[in-house]
Amino acid sequence: MKKREFSTAFKIQISTLRLLRVKFTLALMLLTCLQVLAYQNIPITGRVTSSTGEPLAGVSVTLKGTQLGTTTDAAGNFSITVPNQNAVLVFSYVGFGTQEVTVGTTTNIAVNLSNAASTNLNEVVVVGYGTQRRRDLTGSVASVKGTELAKQPVLTATQALQGKVAGVQITTSGAPNAAPVVRVRGTGTILGGANPLYVVDGVITEDIRNINTADIVTMDILKDASSTAIYGMRAANGVLLITTKKGRTGKPVFSYDGTAGIREATNLVDMAGPAQYIGYFNEATKYYGNPDDTLSATLLNGTQTDWFDEVLRRAFQQNHNVSVSGGGKLLNYFVSAGYISEQGIIINNDFSRFTVRNNNEYRLTDKLRLGTQLSYSHADLDNVNEGNALSSAYRASPYVPAFLNGKYGNTSAIGNVSNPLVGLNYSTDKGINNRFQGTFTGDYKLLTWLNLRTSFGLDNVNYENTVMGLPFSNTGTNNIFIEAGGNEQRLNTSFEENAFKSTKWVWDNTATFTKILDRHNFNFLLGATAEKYHQRNTRAKSLDYKEGNTSFQEFKGDEIAFNINNPIPNDKWSRNSYLSRLNYTFDDRYLFTGTFRADGTSRFPDGNRWGYFPSIGLGWNIAKEAFMEGNTFFDDLKLRGSWGKVGNDQIAQGLYTTFANTGLPYFFDGRQVYGISLDDVVDEDLQWEITEEFDAGVDVGLMNNRLNLVFDYYKKTTDDVLLRVPLPAFTGDADYITNLGSIENKGIELTAGWNDRIGKVNYNFSANMARNKNKVLELNAGQAVFGGGVGQRGTTTKTDVGQPIGSFFVYQTAGIFQSDAEAAGSPQGASGARAGDLIYVDQNKDGSINANDRVYAGSYQPKMIYGFNGGVTVQGFDFSFTTYGTQGSKIYNGKKAARGDVRDNIEADVARNRWTPDRPNTNVPRANLGILDHSTYFIESGDFFRINNLTLGYTLPKTVFGNLGLNRARVYLTAQNPVTWTKYSGFTPELSSSNTIDAGIEQGAYPSVRTFAFGLNINF
Amino acid sequence: MKYKNIIKKTIITLIIVSFTGLGCGKDFLEIDSEGRINKQEVQTNPNAAEALVTGVYNSLYFGSFDPTTVGMLYMIATDIASDDGDKGSFDADFGPAREIDNFTHTPGNFVFNNLWQGYYKGISRANSALEALEGATFDAAVKNRLIGEVRFIRGMYYFNLVRLFGGVPKIIVVPKATEVNNAEFQTRATREEIYEVIKSDLQFGIDNLPQKGEAGSVVGRSTKGAAQGLLAKVHLYQKNWQMAFDLSNAIITSGKYTLHPDYTTLWRETGNNNSESIFEVQTGLTGDCNAVSPLYSNSQGPRAGGKRGWDDLGFGLNNPTANLVSAYEPGDKRRDATIIFVQPTLPGGPNPGTMLYGNFRLPTQDSVENQRYNYKAYHPAITTCGGNKDLKPKNIRILRYAEVLLINAEAAAMLNNAQGAARLNLVRARAGLAPSATATQADVWKERRVELAMEQDRFLDLVRQGRAGTVLRAHGKAFVDGKHEVYPIPQAQIDLSGGLLKQNNGY
Repeated sequence: MKKREFSTAFKIQISTLRLLRVKFTLALMLLTCLQVLAYQNIPITGRVTSSTGEPLAGVSVTLKGTQLGTTTDAAGNFSITVPNQNAVLVFSYVGFGTQEVTVGTTTNIAVNLSNAASTNLNEVVVVGYGTQRRRDLTGSVASVKGTELAKQPVLTATQALQGKVAGVQITTSGAPNAAPVVRVRGTGTILGGANPLYVVDGVITEDIRNINTADIVTMDILKDASSTAIYGMRAANGVLLITTKKGRTGKPVFSYDGTAGIREATNLVDMAGPAQYIGYFNEATKYYGNPDDTLSATLLNGTQTDWFDEVLRRAFQQNHNVSVSGGGKLLNYFVSAGYISEQGIIINNDFSRFTVRNNNEYRLTDKLRLGTQLSYSHADLDNVNEGNALSSAYRASPYVPAFLNGKYGNTSAIGNVSNPLVGLNYSTDKGINNRFQGTFTGDYKLLTWLNLRTSFGLDNVNYENTVMGLPFSNTGTNNIFIEAGGNEQRLNTSFEENAFKSTKWVWDNTATFTKILDRHNFNFLLGATAEKYHQRNTRAKSLDYKEGNTSFQEFKGDEIAFNINNPIPNDKWSRNSYLSRLNYTFDDRYLFTGTFRADGTSRFPDGNRWGYFPSIGLGWNIAKEAFMEGNTFFDDLKLRGSWGKVGNDQIAQGLYTTFANTGLPYFFDGRQVYGISLDDVVDEDLQWEITEEFDAGVDVGLMNNRLNLVFDYYKKTTDDVLLRVPLPAFTGDADYITNLGSIENKGIELTAGWNDRIGKVNYNFSANMARNKNKVLELNAGQAVFGGGVGQRGTTTKTDVGQPIGSFFVYQTAGIFQSDAEAAGSPQGASGARAGDLIYVDQNKDGSINANDRVYAGSYQPKMIYGFNGGVTVQGFDFSFTTYGTQGSKIYNGKKAARGDVRDNIEADVARNRWTPDRPNTNVPRANLGILDHSTYFIESGDFFRINNLTLGYTLPKTVFGNLGLNRARVYLTAQNPVTWTKYSGFTPELSSSNTIDAGIEQGAYPSVRTFAFGLNINF
Repeated sequence: MKYKNIIKKTIITLIIVSFTGLGCGKDFLEIDSEGRINKQEVQTNPNAAEALVTGVYNSLYFGSFDPTTVGMLYMIATDIASDDGDKGSFDADFGPAREIDNFTHTPGNFVFNNLWQGYYKGISRANSALEALEGATFDAAVKNRLIGEVRFIRGMYYFNLVRLFGGVPKIIVVPKATEVNNAEFQTRATREEIYEVIKSDLQFGIDNLPQKGEAGSVVGRSTKGAAQGLLAKVHLYQKNWQMAFDLSNAIITSGKYTLHPDYTTLWRETGNNNSESIFEVQTGLTGDCNAVSPLYSNSQGPRAGGKRGWDDLGFGLNNPTANLVSAYEPGDKRRDATIIFVQPTLPGGPNPGTMLYGNFRLPTQDSVENQRYNYKAYHPAITTCGGNKDLKPKNIRILRYAEVLLINAEAAAMLNNAQGAARLNLVRARAGLAPSATATQADVWKERRVELAMEQDRFLDLVRQGRAGTVLRAHGKAFVDGKHEVYPIPQAQIDLSGGLLKQNNGY
């Protein structure tokens, strides 16, 4: 389908607008029905505690049906005046459950707010541009509390989210500052970005690596279209909403939380030692007709280099957070500072980040509130070319010493790769990232039922980095190698300075109408937003630079060559949207949510800029029905169903315009001039991808709500998929981007939580699992898209109709030829196969093995992801665990398949188990110098199950520190990723790839990292 | 009361509408191009049109393993395919080049697709430049000169395409994205139609380009002489002997070109743009190290085979054959200027190796993979660009005066014009050889081989001479008459055409 049916979209818009107009008029009419409450003024005091008995500060206490209210102080105490004994107090706090208490005759109320189960139906959930009680939701929304996330010694909150939410697949890397790859309900795009949208305190962002996890109160994940459609064109991959901490009324509460620990590689691949390597190499050369040993046994002189030992290390990590929060009549405040320092497990790789945050709320009048949420982060990065270091360590010969008596082993002199240590030690890549993110909000309660809100968010990123290559030689006096020769040298210093500066602002204006009319509860949101982004990039680069200088400021005019250019284009885009949402509940039994958003984006050509995204959600709280009265089995039973349309515009700006390529040099009369060209063919009618999603779910609470179950079924269909389509060469361009395809993701999600207390033992367990099936429905007029190139043997994946995106497409192996005669008589005989070679299946039986014999062999997309989590508190002890597993994915062992050069080292397993006439019963082919074709031989199971985190803590009894002024002190030990069970033979089964058609190919992957840390929490 | 309510409602409605109806105007979503030049701007800016012409010249650098015009892959399709060059390196290396060497190539061989892509990428740059130049307001002479330069390069690319593949799609305008599937563009024009494009492009160049050294001419830009020379060669391929003779004669009588006295330095840096250079790729070292045809030199550099301690000098492709060595007459200076001979390793030494110019000592045979390498492609080590050997700035000689003399001699021989002998003997004299007793077509062919050896001419010349099958089969290649005179149309392009592009006979 090339063109969308605009007329349909338009009809929906018109009809929805009409509907909205009706609702709007209705809401206005309600104004006349205001009633005045009669006051008797009964003073009430009380205390709010958590389910574990800790006082809860900052809990909102409101008089039901009014805007009157207060918040609890640091000790959890509150006082409020109520009109009469029939008054109902509502206790709520984001991330915790909501509880309603009828005042009655008592004047002192003790409230215990549940905070354990994330599926609690009374919980307050952040949805776009507002909040809702979980019981009123019609869509699929999961919530995870900040305390759960902050438990884990990891840099970004999404890393800690892994395994906690059904249907959210998170792939992490052990590399410092790596952004985890997040996929909500499968992959619905090929070329557009597949990352979800992040919203921090209401402000849309793409990267949350600047957010200190310790500052997070809650993270809410919007999964279905009825929830996400309020974010319209950017919501197709799901939305993650982050709420940071606010101050709570009361005296200042200080807290400190710190960890210190070590990080190390979890699993390494055992490489061949010198004797195995030389034996394998010599045996292989004999197959090529060389009668002698190419590598002499005299090379075995006792040197045995484990290159991974040389480039990897046990690294140190520490994390400290301090905060103070409190508040008074006018102002609530939260101020925090955090410092995290994380060494990479590769030498020379360091990362540290300092963050400060200040969230203030000013209650200027009863009607007017202002808020500021300001954060600043500063990161220092010592980057290394980790891919290169790891792949060189994998390939380097084990008989060459790494570093001996001040000189490096010369791996390249024997035709091998570069010495990985030289690459790490003779270059630097330092970065400084400064980011300011702030939101300014104003809330004005124009009428009791009408709240106006304006919010201005700013995000300013400034990244500077300097990359330097230091000179070294492989001959003469500057020779740094034990032996001269080879091709590894850098004759002059290379130097590069980059600056990336971006500024983004978002301005949201919303009006919220709230009206309770008898059993009818209306909440209507209307709003407009505008957003603009501008990124400027500068690069100055000199490949031949005078040694010793550290910046271009020090240029003295005698440099060998100097060049400034700007190969990274600037980026600029803008968006303008109008949004609306109606939440209507009748008698808490029947729920309706309708949203409609109109989105305009600069990323598409004039005429295709505006998109319209409607959604509808329905819910039925069966447990509240009259006929359920007296039932003791269900505490909660709710059916949900939703439908909606969302979009994806995550492509670069300006793809619909042909821009000139600039900086094309040529020499006339010995002088350099720059030319331009118009090489790019573009689709001048480009538009966004559109995803239509259906979701059906049921929420169940049983046994006094100790057992909570959530089940969802969903089906997402993405149309007008953005695709890079190959072009015939005569156009001058190899491909262009256009809308041409359709993808389906469907699956189920199940979450179960159990939360109970036995005597003094509080415990909870939860389990979640999600199955997803990804399938391409239509593509590029039937033409498949190939990807995942490995080494010199071309592509490994094929994305085609009927298959998951990025399916491996390779030869199928069927054992090993046991004799030359067998090989010669086979279809591979013509290409010189011999005994010990892999047998490829001639699928089409045409007597030759060629591209037509490739078969689909699975994809990296798991069929199922799951997690088990739990915790126990006994007396002062607390113990928790989180786990995560995937099942049904396949990995292409690309590093093993690539074999860049005949001198590459091999894995010990390959050396040990290779086919020889004496070892016929093996699945590893004979010693080989060539590059094997892509086949199922390199495909392995990507299944794994991992304990993500184990934490054991002890809260010291108050008697221990009674006179120190402390409220609470807890010490803990935590282990991140201590154990992984996997059949995969490589460094890690978790492979981050932002490109959906290249996913699951391991080439120089950063090994999984585990962390053991000691931590301390103090409150005073 | 009711009235008051209406006013109140109206005010509230107005507040809400003005608050949430915040519009930004149409311009808000209009993003400027941030200093980038878009197509519309290019077509209205004369400076941009001139820069587009430079962009066309830039396509001469297309090389490496990527889409290529006159770089490494073209060398494979012309030298390695011929009896002048063997694939080289070690046996298992570079299968696609080995297939071409052995004439076992198939339509899937990436070399063909990348040549096809390289030429059409260059041609489409030329078409874009021509489109912009047509609309640009320029001094007419300058405009016609720029058009002439562009059409010269387009003609050259079509000449290579038609010789490598036969008739190909004729693209002389800029197709729109919506037109890419039109049969007009997807199907092959006849060989004759393509030759008409070439002749018309080169004739425009002859009519509008300045002579070398005259006003408007710049070293590196195409000239009237270059257009005449290439057109003379085109007529040679078409056996239009009189046209070939007249055009080559015009160059000779113009007096603008003389033979470079020293054949040894003809292809070296000191010989860049020498007196016999008619058209050559101008390379240089820029800060970005992108003003070269990458790998052209390094792919043909001696392969030290990873032997201990020796710098690996190159890929070791395109080894001059023993057959070529024996084609030189005794005393021919061109033999040692064309071929690097690797010295045998003597047991017990001394083994001084081979001294290459630029003071580089090539070790003896035990440390080197092959026996002979192409000296014309050799370039000493560079210290800039990180010493990256792939980026050696070799000016590839496309057309030189010696070839014009030989075109003239061959045409003269076919026209029974006695002038030819003198032209032939000029070339022989420079090589240190005695004048030839005769100047028949066969004499000229013999001279062409040694004069232009390893300069990406031999295979195409053998096909032109109509004896490719005889010569190459004698050389041990599986050449099939009626099939291997042209290469297969790349399978990838046939697939992209939805089958509109038809394959050559026999593939």
